[in-house]
Amino acid sequence: MAMTARKQTPALANAEHSASLLRDRLRLADDSTVVSVFLQGEERAFSELVERYQTRLLNFIYRTIGDREKAEDLVQEVFIRVYRHLHRFDRSKKFSTWVYTIASNLAKNELRNRSRNPLVLFQTITKNWQDEERPLQFEDAGNRPDDLYRKRDIRDKVEEAVEQLPEHHRNVFVLRELEGKSYEEIAEITHTNLGTVKSRLNRARNSFAEIIAPWLE
Amino acid sequence: MHCSEFREHHCSFVDDTLPGIELIRMQRHMVECAGCAEHDAHIRRALLLFRNLPTIEPSSDFSERLEARLQACRVEQVEATYANFRAVAGIGAVASLLMLGYVAVSFQHGGMPAMALVAREHTPTLAPVVALAERPAVVASVPAAPRPHASRPADREPARQPEIVSASSSLPAVAASVSAGMPIWPAAIFAEQAPLHFATYRQTH
Repeated sequence: MAMTARKQTPALANAEHSASLLRDRLRLADDSTVVSVFLQGEERAFSELVERYQTRLLNFIYRTIGDREKAEDLVQEVFIRVYRHLHRFDRSKKFSTWVYTIASNLAKNELRNRSRNPLVLFQTITKNWQDEERPLQFEDAGNRPDDLYRKRDIRDKVEEAVEQLPEHHRNVFVLRELEGKSYEEIAEITHTNLGTVKSRLNRARNSFAEIIAPWLE
Repeated sequence: MHCSEFREHHCSFVDDTLPGIELIRMQRHMVECAGCAEHDAHIRRALLLFRNLPTIEPSSDFSERLEARLQACRVEQVEATYANFRAVAGIGAVASLLMLGYVAVSFQHGGMPAMALVAREHTPTLAPVVALAERPAVVASVPAAPRPHASRPADREPARQPEIVSASSSLPAVAASVSAGMPIWPAAIFAEQAPLHFATYRQTH
């Protein structure tokens, strides 16, 4: 037994070393390389993709649908779909655009389902009420309470203002302002042309500024 | 520049995607028009607020839940692969059984499957076994014309007429082709030509 353990130790150390080397290489690689490595059968490459996109997708979906829990569920759904259909992904295109297209479609479906189901809408509203009653434990404790209140108030107003935008305006707005996507990428993600993207973005910005204006004065 | 033009290009102006000359025209208009300058400031302030919203992070159990779902997905994929394999294997087994059944029935009813005829022609050791079966029906008979041969007087007598005997039906050939993975239609054509291919000569008397 002792002999076996002694033999296994260098083997395990080697395995760990090669795993850490692979992780480092994947971290430095671009998306298309990571996708290729995954398609060659290396499951750890998928973890790298998850690591890269989970927070970005969560914020994008959350800003689009306004419900954190549901946003997490949808991000998971995005990754499941990516895992299942990655072999069908056209590798001449950008991986991030493909992922955001899936996320955008899921967010749109969620909003559509909500508008059809009043119960879901009601649950979302009550969830937001509970959010408001939460203690301020996640805020910066170094600030004065009235500052914190003001900050949270403005944050809520901004989020409300985004939620008031029409769905197709909001989608374009979040992709541009939060994710920093180019007009071309947004056009690809939302399946629209460049002119439509520019016009929707312009309208979304104007509407958002109008809604938020009373709280800025 | 008119205010309407300024508002039209404002989106690209904010995103800094305007060509240089347009950019200068927009900036010049802002100096001239207080309303448009205010509009620009208003939009930029609002956008700044939105861009500075705190980033939310996935919850602590996010990775665990995702891993569990991915594991379920992997299991599902493996099961689907096995299910496909089982379906193909099942179809293969049924086809083999049908083939064997057909061969058995053919022998029982005295027919001779095409494969047996081939075996008879090419494998002399199987000939006694095949001979036990009833001879197949004659589907074609080509009377051989007497060939005059001056050097051999025996040939002047009417020669024994060879008779072509072939497989009685095309079905065994079709069945054989199915088990070999051939499509039905080439197999049917093959069966139609079977009398020519599998014919054997038999001495009459």
